[in-house]
Parts: sequence; structure tokens; C-alpha cells
Amino acid sequence: MKNTSDKLLTAKAQKKRFAYSMVSPTIIVLLIMTAYPLIFTIFYSFTDYNLLKSAKRGVEFIGLENYIDLFKDAYFRQAIWNTVKFTILAMVFEMLIGFIMALFVNSLKIGQKIMRTLLLLPYLLPTVTVALIWRMMLSPNYGIVNQVLTALHLPVFNWFSDVRTAFGMLVLIDVWQTAPFVFLLLYAALQGVDGAQYEAAKIDGANAFQRLRYVTIPNIKGSLALCALLRTIDSFRLFDKVNLLTGGGPANTTATITQYLYNYGIKNLNFGFGTAGALVMTILVLILSSFYIKRAMG
Amino acid sequence: MKKRLVAVLMAAAMAATMTACGGSGSSDSAADTSASSGEAEESTEASGDGEELSIVLRGGTYADVIKACLPAFEEEHNCTVEVMELSEDDLKQNIALDALNAEGSYDMCMVDGSWMAEFTENEVLADLKELGYDLDDDIIEATKTICYSDDKLYLAPYYGNVTVLLLNKANVEEAGYATNEINTLDDILTICKTAQENGKKGFIYRGDTANNLVVDFMPILLSYGGWVVDDNNQPTVNTPEFQAAMEYYLELIATGDAEVKDDLIASCDTGAGTMGVGWPGWYTPTEDSAADYVAITGVASEGDEAYNANVYGIWTIGVPANSQHKELAAELVAYLMDADVQLDTVSIGGVPCRYSSLQNEDVLAEYPQYEVVCQALEGGVYRPVMAEWGEFCTILGAELDNIVNGVSSVEDGLQAAQEKLEDLVG
Repeated sequence: MKNTSDKLLTAKAQKKRFAYSMVSPTIIVLLIMTAYPLIFTIFYSFTDYNLLKSAKRGVEFIGLENYIDLFKDAYFRQAIWNTVKFTILAMVFEMLIGFIMALFVNSLKIGQKIMRTLLLLPYLLPTVTVALIWRMMLSPNYGIVNQVLTALHLPVFNWFSDVRTAFGMLVLIDVWQTAPFVFLLLYAALQGVDGAQYEAAKIDGANAFQRLRYVTIPNIKGSLALCALLRTIDSFRLFDKVNLLTGGGPANTTATITQYLYNYGIKNLNFGFGTAGALVMTILVLILSSFYIKRAMG
Repeated sequence: MKKRLVAVLMAAAMAATMTACGGSGSSDSAADTSASSGEAEESTEASGDGEELSIVLRGGTYADVIKACLPAFEEEHNCTVEVMELSEDDLKQNIALDALNAEGSYDMCMVDGSWMAEFTENEVLADLKELGYDLDDDIIEATKTICYSDDKLYLAPYYGNVTVLLLNKANVEEAGYATNEINTLDDILTICKTAQENGKKGFIYRGDTANNLVVDFMPILLSYGGWVVDDNNQPTVNTPEFQAAMEYYLELIATGDAEVKDDLIASCDTGAGTMGVGWPGWYTPTEDSAADYVAITGVASEGDEAYNANVYGIWTIGVPANSQHKELAAELVAYLMDADVQLDTVSIGGVPCRYSSLQNEDVLAEYPQYEVVCQALEGGVYRPVMAEWGEFCTILGAELDNIVNGVSSVEDGLQAAQEKLEDLVG
């Protein structure tokens, strides 16, 4: 009896060892690629690490000074507010427009493929190209937008340099580029909805809005949550468009957290300060996206 | 059986590949070692001997001019030069990152004058004098000032970028001025106000980054006798001179708009805008061109003192201290700085800091604007030589941005800037 249980234990241990040996390469890679940089970042956020200066004078532990400096700075607080505002606006509009596009293409009897390809084009463009296209179109000198507005006797703006319009333009450009991504995901989800459910709803007398509310949305809610999560995370990290088009101005109205960190940390090689800001950003994006994660998991 | 055969073949192929890589790697490293050893340098006397130099430059005209000179150098020195072109911010970061390595990847780099203090303080650059190169008397004296530190020569002033007043000739004439009659800041304001009354934009400024805002404002500040720091590099941004310059600047920019570089140039060229602070590398005026540029005189109002008011944005060249081919790189610096080589670059957009190029009769006959550039370079001012200049500029730029956009008053904005800058400099 004892022999049998010993054998069973040995077999169990062997199985465990085998499982660990199979998982260990992944764990090692994860530790090197994720855990180490994270620990490195957390550590340096409590130091005065400057890329050039620290090579000579070393790194000094300064406790929470970087974090205190960050939150004492009105520009950082404004950058947080700008980022949250941008994330919410961009996510809402992208979801809404992407969903409408998906419903429209899904309802087409002919030309679905062509329409799908055409609508996807903005998303396929590199961000630099998108930024340059919009900069040219909105140029106060030769931009087509101002020319059209002038022809229609409407007021024209210096779109990226006016405190009233710069932020809105960034939202518009991001929505223009990224709504097709939402469209693609939701369109794929819509393809999987069983047509019989619509037939049944129709027989029960449901109108178009009711079919959308009670058939379409419940069927694709997982995809909707995933889209919202991905767009929230991505919008929160917005940098390239801001850096290329406004540099955070005018008067800090378009500065996002990443742009702030670039201007005040990375650009001046103050990596200690920069990493503290990056950690604050990570925590904020986790808080914002936790709602969706919970929903997607649940 | 088949599987075993395939496995054996694959293992053999892999072993062969690894051996080949290892062989090549070791020979490369041997080549590197010999190249960096004193003996090898002596034996080759800094001639290339098939070596490969890697240089990192600011993209645009500045790099184009250097690239045009390289084939002759490569042939003369039997070497190849690999060029990397970067934006201003990326260039600084790349040089700084590479400076941390014992063996650097770059052999020559382009450096903005405002990085000098940070780079010398952290021993990023090699002493060019030690490598056998020194600046000659033909180079405009004022442009040399930041190149030396503790009697060591770290940089050579290569591209004579200096702020000038870019203007539309027709708009200036409409206001009753000739381009050579713009003698004071008051004249500039009058011209811009007239242009605005005529339905055009007056003064165009670059409001897209902190650095651009600060640099565009600096010539105005200098003309009022102010500066951003005192002799001890302590901030002086809340002074009567600074406030007067700011009040003037607000009146001036109210006649126009904030635009990015390309739009500013287009505005001045088409006449949609009248004036703006620019750089010689941006625009090549000709007899028939709609736009031209003039040096900023540094006089606020008629009868006032004339200050040096043209701000340098000179692109200098130097050799990183950890370069693996220092001697050859120093030869490249000497070659690029050669008076004849620099004279030849004028036709492709080069702006040498040399009298022999800028006062050359043939050059002036074809490019009369070089007379203006020469004047501006002679009376130019470098941005403060301080290790914190990057942060300083970001802070000051942010406050100026608030002032020009009406978010802060002049008094509040300058007070805030002064306090923050004092905190920074300590």
C-alpha cells in the first residue's frame, strides 16, 4: 500500500517537474522582457537618473521627489486632464462611428468588399503620413479646408495654433484614422451574428432600433468591450500626432502625459523624472481600463 | 530515417553558419582593435585603409551639404563614410546614448551650440587640438566662442545658421520701406501694421515648440538690451527689458499669426504674410524672388543703442571622445572645414562661417544675401552655455506660450518663469 502511494507521489512530482520545465522558458523570457524593465523603471523613478550626468556622478536615491515634483507641476496636472479628456472623446467617437460604419457595410447587399477596403485605408496609413496630410489640409496658407471655408464665406482658423481649435483637431484626426479599426473588429463580430435571430425578432414585430438594441448589441457586446479597452489604452498613450502637429501647444492645451514626459523628461535626458511619470501614466491607464477588463473577463 | 537525416543536415548547416559568423565577428573585432590601437594609427597615418567612418548629422540641408563633400574625401582617404541623418531631438539623444559606451558607434557628429556645455561637462567630445586640428583666422571670430573650453577645442563651426528677418519684398515696399531701410524694431512694427491694414498678415512667429518660441523672441529681447541669463548664468527673465520686449512682441505678433516653419516660408514667399524670424538655410533669395532676408539691426527705436541681436543656431561638428577612428574623423573635420571645400558648398546651400566664402566676389555676385549672413554672423550671439539649457528653454517656452496666447499676463508669466528657472538653476 505504502509502495503504491509512494509511486503515485513520485509520478505526481514527475508530472509537476515536467510541467515546470515546459513553462520555465516562457517564464524566463517573460522575466527578462517584462519584469526586468518594470523593476528597472520602478527603481529609477526614485532616483535622479540623468542619462549623461549620471554616467559621471552616479545615481542618487531621492525617494518620492520625482513624484512630488510631478504632481506639484500645474502643467502635468493639465496634461493628465487633457489626456483623460482626449481618451474619453476619442474612444466615444471612434466607437460610435466605427459601429455605424460596421452596421452600414454589414447591411450592404453588394460591394461589401470594396467598401470594407476603402473604409480601412486611413487605418493603414502611417501616423506620420496622416499628420502631414492633415497639416497640409489645415494649413492657414494653402490648406484646402480654409480655402473651402473662405469660398463659403465662413470663418477660418489657424487650426493647430488656436487654443479654441487645436485640441478638437487632434481628436478629429485620431477619430478619422482609428474609427476604421473599430469598424473592422465590429464588422467581424457582426458577421458572426446568427441571421435567424433577426428573422425571429422581425416576426415578433421588432423594429430596426429594437433589433439593434435586443439582438445586435447583446451578440457583439464582447467585441464592443474589447474595442473600448483597446482604444482606451491606445488613446491614453497618444504621442506621435501631438508631437508632430502641436508639440503640446498652444498654451499647453494639447499636451498629453506622454508629450509632457517627453518635453520635461526624455528630451532633456532626465530619465528618473520620465520613468516616474511613465509609472503614474500606467497606473492611470490601468484604472481607466479596469472597468472594461472586468467586463471582458466577466 | 529521413527525419534523422534532415536533422543531421540542419545541425551541420547551423554549425557551419555559426562558425562563419564567429569567424567574421572575430576578424571584425580584430580589425577594430587594430584600428583603435596607436600602432595601427601610426602606420596608416590616419589614411582610411578601407576603414568605415560612421557620422551622425542633423537631417536637411545641413546634412546634404556634408554628404556632397564625402565622395572626394572617401576617395582621397580610401575609406567609406556611413551617414545617419536625424531630427534635432533624436540627434542629441543618440549622441548622448552612444557616449555611454566604451567604444562609440559614431566617429563624427553634428552638435547644436546649445548642447555644448552639457556635452563638455560630461566629456562626450574629444579635443580636436589633440587630434591635430585647430580653427583658423578665416573663421568669423564670434562663431568660435563656444567651441573652446579650458583651452581645448571640442567643436568646429560648420554651418552658419543665424537668425535673420525673412520678409516679403512687395509687402515691405507697400509700407513705404526698402528692404535695406528696416533699421529699428519700430520700423518692423510699422510695416507689419500696414500689411495688416492692407488685409495681409503682418508678423508670423513659430509657436509650435518651446524652443522655437524662445529663439524667435530672442532677437527682440536682445534689441531691448535684455537677455535670459546674467554673467553667472542666473535667470533674468523678469526684468524691465524683458517686459518691454515682451510687450512689443505681443503688439507685433498681433499683426500676424503663429505658423510652422513651412507655412512661415510660404507666407513670406506668397505675400500672405510679411515677416518672420528665419534662418538662412530655409530660403535662398534671388534677384527675382518675392522674399528676401535682412540682418536684425538690434535697435529698438531710432536713436537707441544697437545691440548684437542675431541669435546663432550654428551647427558645429566634432568627434565623440569614444570614437574608434578619431584620427581619421579629425581629418574629416579638417577636410569639411577647409576653406576651398567650404567655398564649393555655397552653390549647394552651404553657409560657411568663413570670410573667404561669405565675402568672395563671385559668391556675392551670385548670392548677394551672403553679405547679410556675414553681418549677422559677425554680430551674433550664442544661446547661453549652460548644462541646463534644455530644461531652461522648455520652462521659458511654456511660459512664453501662455503669455502669447493670453493665458497669462506678461507680469504673471514672467514672474512664474523667473521662479521656476531659479529653482532649476539653483
